[in-house]
Amino acid sequence: MEAAGGGGAAAGGIALHDFSGRLGEQRVHFHAMRLRDSLFLWVGAAPALASLAVAMCSPRDSVPVAASLLGDPSDTASACLARRLASKTKKQIFVSYNLQNTDSNFTLLIENRIKEEMMAFPEKF
Amino acid sequence: MAPPRAGAAMEASPIVTSKQREEVVHGVPTEVVCTAFSNSVLVVVTQYGKMGTIVYVDPNTIGNNVGRPSLTTKVLLGKDEPLVHVCAKNLVAFVSQEAGNKPVLLAMALKDKTMEGIQALREVIRSCQVW
Repeated sequence: MEAAGGGGAAAGGIALHDFSGRLGEQRVHFHAMRLRDSLFLWVGAAPALASLAVAMCSPRDSVPVAASLLGDPSDTASACLARRLASKTKKQIFVSYNLQNTDSNFTLLIENRIKEEMMAFPEKF
Repeated sequence: MAPPRAGAAMEASPIVTSKQREEVVHGVPTEVVCTAFSNSVLVVVTQYGKMGTIVYVDPNTIGNNVGRPSLTTKVLLGKDEPLVHVCAKNLVAFVSQEAGNKPVLLAMALKDKTMEGIQALREVIRSCQVW
């Protein structure tokens, strides 16, 4: 697993961060963009963007609220991941999940890889 | 003009290409990030540091194969008002066209929505060409 920094991004500005991981038999790529109080995260094996969801914590609900913005609305993989990351970071999270495999064991691996990267490079998220 | 920041292109070969730029446009600090995907281009233009309004700008080539394809704009998140559609088309129509009629996912949070402001922003977007 390797990580690439987003260059000399200032703390206040938008920070880009690319990393990848071998999960199961697949190499999965990640592209993170940290904005003010929010995060955009793309996940995929090929460089396509086919879905987008947003999630954020709600004062009325213990589970973050999520909405699908782009792609097949019945495909909840992006929204689920966004919800989980929103609950962890308390930020507004945009997720574009572009993998065929949406099996819960696999998405857990994805989530763990992201959390690992968040621990290693907190300034990038 | 500040030189574009060294993006992530140099390291560990990221699968998507991004270019970003920070510039003061008509007195307003502005950040632009463009990312090329195989099926679309993501353009973030922000004067508030956040995503703001998200608009999907889609060229519909079907039934319009004479001349330029017309662009459909759809607000995915945020205020859906005419000015948003106008700004979106003005900002990224050329991106879609130059990218070979790919759709553009635009995230914009603008303080200055004047014609001159938009025009200047278009040049900043152009300087982040990844398509």
